Amino acid sequence: MSSFALTLYVLIWPVIAAAVLITLCVSLYRDMRKAKRDGTDLV
Amino acid sequence: MYQLSTPTVLLLLLCFYGLTFLVSLRVGRKDENVDGYMVSNNSIGFGMAAASMTATWIWAASFYAAASSGYKFGLSGALHYGFWGALMILFIYPFGRRFRALAPKAHTLAEIMHARHGRSSQMILAGSNIVGSMISLMVNFTAAGALVAVLSPLSFVHGVLIAGFGILGYTIWSGFRSSVLTDFGQLFAMIFAAVVIIPIIFFQLGGPELFAQGMPTLSPEQASFYSKTAILEQGAPYFVAVLAYAIGNQTIAQRLFAVREDLMKSTFVTATIGYASIVIGLGMLGFLALLAGVQPVEGDLNNLIPQMASTYLPPFAIGLFFIMVIGSLSSTADSDLSALSALVMTDVYGKNLAKGKPNAKTMLFVGRLTMVVATMLAVVFASLKLDILTMLIFVGALWGAIVFPVIASLYWGRITNAAFTSAAFAGFLMFLVARFELLELEGVVALSFELFASIGGGVVIGLMAFGFFGRKVGFILGGLAFLILAPFAFGFLRDYPVLLSSLTAYGVSTVVCVLVSLLSNEDFDFDCINERVVAFHGNTDAATEDEGVTPCPVLR
Repeated sequence: MSSFALTLYVLIWPVIAAAVLITLCVSLYRDMRKAKRDGTDLV
Repeated sequence: MYQLSTPTVLLLLLCFYGLTFLVSLRVGRKDENVDGYMVSNNSIGFGMAAASMTATWIWAASFYAAASSGYKFGLSGALHYGFWGALMILFIYPFGRRFRALAPKAHTLAEIMHARHGRSSQMILAGSNIVGSMISLMVNFTAAGALVAVLSPLSFVHGVLIAGFGILGYTIWSGFRSSVLTDFGQLFAMIFAAVVIIPIIFFQLGGPELFAQGMPTLSPEQASFYSKTAILEQGAPYFVAVLAYAIGNQTIAQRLFAVREDLMKSTFVTATIGYASIVIGLGMLGFLALLAGVQPVEGDLNNLIPQMASTYLPPFAIGLFFIMVIGSLSSTADSDLSALSALVMTDVYGKNLAKGKPNAKTMLFVGRLTMVVATMLAVVFASLKLDILTMLIFVGALWGAIVFPVIASLYWGRITNAAFTSAAFAGFLMFLVARFELLELEGVVALSFELFASIGGGVVIGLMAFGFFGRKVGFILGGLAFLILAPFAFGFLRDYPVLLSSLTAYGVSTVVCVLVSLLSNEDFDFDCINERVVAFHGNTDAATEDEGVTPCPVLR
């Protein structure tokens, strides 16, 4: 494997983790807004 | 190694547990609902549920073991830890849908077994869940002690005590709801730290240049993406444990009962990706350490990650690393406390001690008392520094004996309580014989164990295929797996007692469960499960439904 491919192999994981975090944050924000609108508990 | 000062560590711990406690106060209620205390409102949203599932499944050992695997096995090492660990979440999903459909108001898997079979099956599952959660709790407290001892002048016991009381403090009042709510913040801290730490260490070590210098120093096996050693010594045993850990772990069961039903798929898939990215990413630090020629302090691979952090990170990032590990162990430990309380509340008190008449206030008291006792026991055992990883491998393999009986019981109406119980005991017994070589593994004895282990391999593959693709594909792939494995297993598996015993537990329990079931004519009506598993709070039926389990109508 080339150095570029190995670099990608090592650094792709934090990138995916960051994408998951953004997805979860956006989703939580929507859930919080919906819970507030409906007057229900988040958990 | 660089150490944080005592005031800095105390401040970080105070901020972490103080903030977590304040967050948990947001969901505190004067009159807590017992069902909410165990499984929330059964309709948690996607973001919160996926974050909680991910945070719970990532514990401190995930980082250390993934990095050890990367260091030991090279290029593919971290994948062989993180990938299979992630699949544990994914493979429980199809079965989780079935559990949820049969018993939407369940609190524990053992409770469903009670409704399906009766007390002995319930207590076998509940007992194994309790042992597993207690060990997990001890491991997490031990990790806290070790982290504090390595990164600060404070002692191991200080770390154990602070973590124990910090976690108990924010979990005891609202139970599972506190656990889920705080998991989000803990996961946020974990991912943020991972995203910052991995690139910093990579570029500190020289960036892409590291590969040009380090790759030629690796052994051919370490440099290969398809390393046979990595597969046989790390991937295969972990793969075998995939279903066992998912079935044997109440923390996952609680979350699958808590999430909104239509969001189960997206929750499980996201948690799988989240877990894989964080754990494999941190496992890469082990691979980088190998390339850089780093030698673990005192030859202990568990020191690798703290060592890399303290050597290559600036002080602020060491603080981030510290919070990341504390976050990971706390999120799992609070889930273990919630799981233990739910098991004791439902399966010990609700279904047994209360004689079918659980009192909501007493039940809540039992749950909170369980958390206090479990914390005290875990603190004491953690302080003894027992060989916990060995215990964990032991319990993980032990769970193999209940996987088939639990799953099959919820699909095949012919399985009886006697079949479940005898299968679990037979699988456990044969597991012990193989694991501790109580019989000499030679000749016919060894061949018999290898035969059962091959059946076990077929069962693992068959169940996984069955979960996603249905009965026909499950049978075909399971049968094929057996036929392919058997010729290799004979004369070979006897030299790998850990793998042999794990697969034997699956194989023996399956054979016994099927044979004993075939002796009966039972045809269980699965609708009975929903009738028997009900919410405890404000449900008067719950008080009367359990005066001894009445047999469900038998359909002919």
